[in-house]
Amino acid sequence: MRVARRRFLRGLGAAGLAGGAGALASQGRSGARAAAVPGHGGHGGMGAHGGLGAVGTVDHARNGFTPRQLLTEFDTGAISKDASGRTVREYELFAVNKEIEVAPGVFFPAWTYNNRVPGPSIRATEGDRVRVHFTNGTGHLHTIHFHGIHPAGMDGVPGAGEVGPGETFIYDFIAEPFGTHLYHCHSAPLLDHIHRGLYGAFIVDPKGGRPDANEMIMVMNAFDTNFDGENEVYALNTIAFAYAQEPIAIERGRLQRAHVINITEFDPLNSIHLHANFFHVYRTGTKLVPDDFTDVISMIQAERHMIEFTYQHTGQFMFHAHQTEFVELGWMSFFEVS
Amino acid sequence: MAVRAQQRGGLSTALIALLPAAIIVVLVGLFLAFNPIASLREVPPVEAVAFEQTVLTPNRIELRIRNDGPDEVTIAQVLVNDAYWAHTIGDPTLGRLETTTVAIPYPWDDGLPLSIALLTSTGVTITHDVEVAALTPRTDARTIGIYVLLGLYIGVIPVAVGLFWLPALRRASDRWLGFFLAFTLGLLAFLLIDAFAEGLEFAAQTAAVLDGLLLFAISALAAAMALVALGDRLGRETGSAGQPRALTGLALAYFIAAGIGLHNLGEGLAVGAALAAGEVALGTFLVLGFAIHNTTEGLAIVAPIRSKAARPALWHFVALGALAGAPTIAGALAGGFTLSPAWSAVAFGIATGTIAQVIWAVGRSAGRDGALRSSFGLLGFLGGLLFMYATGLLAG
Repeated sequence: MRVARRRFLRGLGAAGLAGGAGALASQGRSGARAAAVPGHGGHGGMGAHGGLGAVGTVDHARNGFTPRQLLTEFDTGAISKDASGRTVREYELFAVNKEIEVAPGVFFPAWTYNNRVPGPSIRATEGDRVRVHFTNGTGHLHTIHFHGIHPAGMDGVPGAGEVGPGETFIYDFIAEPFGTHLYHCHSAPLLDHIHRGLYGAFIVDPKGGRPDANEMIMVMNAFDTNFDGENEVYALNTIAFAYAQEPIAIERGRLQRAHVINITEFDPLNSIHLHANFFHVYRTGTKLVPDDFTDVISMIQAERHMIEFTYQHTGQFMFHAHQTEFVELGWMSFFEVS
Repeated sequence: MAVRAQQRGGLSTALIALLPAAIIVVLVGLFLAFNPIASLREVPPVEAVAFEQTVLTPNRIELRIRNDGPDEVTIAQVLVNDAYWAHTIGDPTLGRLETTTVAIPYPWDDGLPLSIALLTSTGVTITHDVEVAALTPRTDARTIGIYVLLGLYIGVIPVAVGLFWLPALRRASDRWLGFFLAFTLGLLAFLLIDAFAEGLEFAAQTAAVLDGLLLFAISALAAAMALVALGDRLGRETGSAGQPRALTGLALAYFIAAGIGLHNLGEGLAVGAALAAGEVALGTFLVLGFAIHNTTEGLAIVAPIRSKAARPALWHFVALGALAGAPTIAGALAGGFTLSPAWSAVAFGIATGTIAQVIWAVGRSAGRDGALRSSFGLLGFLGGLLFMYATGLLAG
């Protein structure tokens, strides 16, 4: 109420009726804002790009998650063994509506799994029994549709595991095949349910494991903040320019493994390009030997690949979509190799 | 006693008259305290921002913006040609009607379009397109000189040249005099339509909350009424038995000059603003077109003083020419350097009202002469319209 009254006074002030009220108007948030991406000198690398970048910083505490968490945290579930000795992993997921700051000062009315976009990076080993307890805390119907091999009743589509407001469903299946997968809501209208943020990584490790590496989740997503059918924000893991403002610190000579997943809505393709380096591509992560050695790869929606690389030099290295429009709208990141 | 009673009566009348106002104040206070419709507004805010001025300097874009929506707006990011860009902004949160300036260091390219989008805190984009990016004229002596020269060329000189039609007019027969008076009317009718259309265009560009259409209309009505009052006063002075007469001779010439001058003020604004905004190239044809176009205006001014009896002193001609032509200079300067569309809407509103009233005055004068009823008169009227149209094409 007080805010509303003050706003009214501000209006009067602007109309020249109340000089005192005009002073009110100049209070509040003020002060010129400097350029966004820290860039001059050591940290962040966008100084060379002049004024490109968002202004200000995202309040990650208010979002409830940090870009680093999205990049490196996995949910391996609560582990037990069934009678046959098979590993059983239980996961808790819930759908909840939440406003997320997707670029500094820009708030998007997201639909989330577990209060974050992308949702938890669910991880299991090939052959594990996966049990995902899904509770819908929103007013809409939702599902979790896993990319993988499972029975029809566990597909997470309307008529098979669609969950009404306040209800719970358990998706129960065996994790296969191994690879870099994803899950997303499959309720109608599908475009809304995906674009609003209901998706996440689903990583299935091969039984024999993989060589030790620094593992990262990279979900290429975008947000149509004004709901006109075109994206205003492109990002790696939701926050525009997040890893440009705070480069990802990695070690020289250490094997890096990234699970790169495209869930971009409205644009048919997204891509990833590493500067000053090449990477091995494991298409959909379903093989133990690489399919390709390159420095750029494109993906349609839901296409995903595991990439592995090692930096031989230290310093700051850009990586980004090789669609320049996406780069300049937020999908721009840096590695800080030490 | 009687006087005092009357005074008291006056005081209580005033108090009674204030009563409704007092009730309104109380009601407003109650409304603000309890805001009964607040529960109706649980919908997303309506965010609107008007771009009032764009200043392009080397490697820099400066936008003056105004919140012209009903709700507060917070500018979160600025995108130039689909790229997030560094910028500085005073207070990013704009209350209703508040203005601020956004400064963007950007290596814009001369002659190419620019698209600037403000991304608000709720994710709404508000876009401003610069059709052709060009340096905004600086307020230095040279640029001011150019604008003054421009005003001279398209306003002052043509009108002054047009005044030299007077000797020819004086030798013309009565039928031809009627023709030229009607020609003047046609010309004024063209200017009326032009000022009206321009005014509406600027009204449409005006920040919605300022209601450009009403600004335009009020300006037009105020100007017309002011001129009616002035005309009545002049008419009464010259008329008999307190009955205002139709304006004739020199007074009518001044009226026409004033109307044309105000139109030229608006014309100068439009040309100056268009140049500043980089919307038109300052082509030779534009200047020549306006010059030829406006020469006819001189003819309109001297038409009422063509009678051999009226021999105004020379300084009257200088004054008439200045009145009709000089505002072009002021308009070009104002349009080129400062003005927002709201002021242009007001200027064209004043021009519209003035010209309408001048048409009325000239019409009365011509009607009394019976000049309009003849085929010469009708041809003259049409001729005036068509001549302005044709010369307008040159400037188009």
